[in-house]
Formats: sequence, C-alpha cells, structure tokens
Amino acid sequence: MSNLNESDIQSFIDAVSSFFFQVTQEKVGIRAAYLVEGGIPATTFDLTSYITLSGAFTGRVYFSAPRVMVAHLLLTMQEPDRGDERLLDAVGEIANTISGNARKHFGETMQISVPVTQATEHDWLNSVVSPRSYVILVKWKQYRASVVVDIQHTD
Amino acid sequence: MKLLIVDDSAIIRSRIARILNDSRLKSIDVVGMAQNGMEAISLFLQNTPDIVTMDITMPKMDGVDCTEKMISLYPECNILVISALSDKATALKALKKGARGFLYKPFTDEELIAAFLELTNS
Repeated sequence: MSNLNESDIQSFIDAVSSFFFQVTQEKVGIRAAYLVEGGIPATTFDLTSYITLSGAFTGRVYFSAPRVMVAHLLLTMQEPDRGDERLLDAVGEIANTISGNARKHFGETMQISVPVTQATEHDWLNSVVSPRSYVILVKWKQYRASVVVDIQHTD
Repeated sequence: MKLLIVDDSAIIRSRIARILNDSRLKSIDVVGMAQNGMEAISLFLQNTPDIVTMDITMPKMDGVDCTEKMISLYPECNILVISALSDKATALKALKKGARGFLYKPFTDEELIAAFLELTNS
C-alpha cells in the first residue's frame, strides 16, 4: 500500500510534465488520482517500462504508452530509427528519466534500477500493481499514456 | 577532439551524436558508443578519447565507477556526466570521482551544446 504524501506525488507529476516539455517544447495534459479512490484505471498501452526501487523505498514506477505515440515522440526528437527496439528503448528512457528526476525530491536513499521494457497486453498493469497505486494519465497531442507509481517508504 | 558516448539508452546515444554533429562544434569526432561501463572501459582503452559523456544508471558497471576507472587511466580526460538522477548527492559523487561537468536529463539541444562549450573552453 502506498504511503506517499501530496508532495511525493507532485514530484512525479512535475517529472512527467518536465520530460515532455523539455523534449517536445509542448505542455502535456495531466490527470492524476489513486487507483481505487480516484477511479482511474491503471491503463495499459502497447509498450510498458518499469523501474524498480530499493533503499528507503520499495516498489516500481511504470510508464505505458501506445506504439504510435512513442514513434511520434521519436520523430519529434529527430530519431531516424523508429523500429520496435528503439520504441522500447524510448519507453525505458522515459521511465528512467521520470524516476531519476523524482529523486531530487526523495533524495539519494531512493535507489533506482535500470529500466525493464516489454510489449504489453490490455489490462496488464491492473494485474501487477497494488490497489493503492497512484495513476498519472498523460495527454500529449492526441495520444494518452500512463505513469503508475506503486511505491512505499520502508522506514 | 575524440568523443566517447556512454549511455544504456540507444536513443540518447544517437541524440547526443546527432546534436553535436549538427552543431558548430565540428571538431568533435565520435569514436565510440557504449551501453554500459564495462563496454565503455574497453572502448576507452582502444580510443583514448578527449571527452566522454557518461550516464550514471547502467547495467554491469555504473557511471560513477566507470568515471573513477577512466580518470585513473587517463586523468586529463574530460568527463561530462549526463544523467536523470537530479539529486545533488549524485552530481557531487561524480564530480568527486573526477567528472568535469554534470548535465541533467531531459536536456535540450542548446543545453548539451552549452555544456560542451563550457567543457572544451575550460
């Protein structure tokens, strides 16, 4: 069960917003709430990556996005290779950047792993995350993606 | 000047090379790209680069240990750490091991070029 406070959650929202703005120079739409209380499903898209936390925190931070959105993002970044391997690499880098940036708020006691990436089926996230996970829905251009924060303090 | 790019993300390696290639820093020649610290050390020994861009969170050997190893082999090497780990402690740790600069991800084209200009001018 998550035991994060409002400023903890805000650090992830800020990290997601900052990533898209820095890379695309465009603002993203954000809607965020706890999975159970807010009624937002932990929406799973085609490609998902996650970072595993250790140290003063346990759990995972997930990023999931449709293939077409990631390809568009790579096009914006002028990346010529938009094959499957690069798309997975991109979702991994996004999860890594969001988690790494959030560490500015949590401090160095939050250790983060290298990203794990995979193609995912519908509803996969809901089968692996805890009911008290925090879901951040991201809207960039006409696309939607999700960040799921399923972490807790260990101390 | 010879540049080695070290990052476990292929899109970041490709992006750094593309930005520098398109910039006015024409004297920079990318001599290698590595996806982890172990591979980076091998390429470092083969090419003795003047500048290295170094990620921190990587498999096999992380960027802090890799920086320490490279500086012990070639203390004159200019290492620019480029990492998403935006806490001060990580930056200080890398600088203590001999890195000459730190750039946070995500970065813009202009921020990368500015970091390189600062590094090459110093």
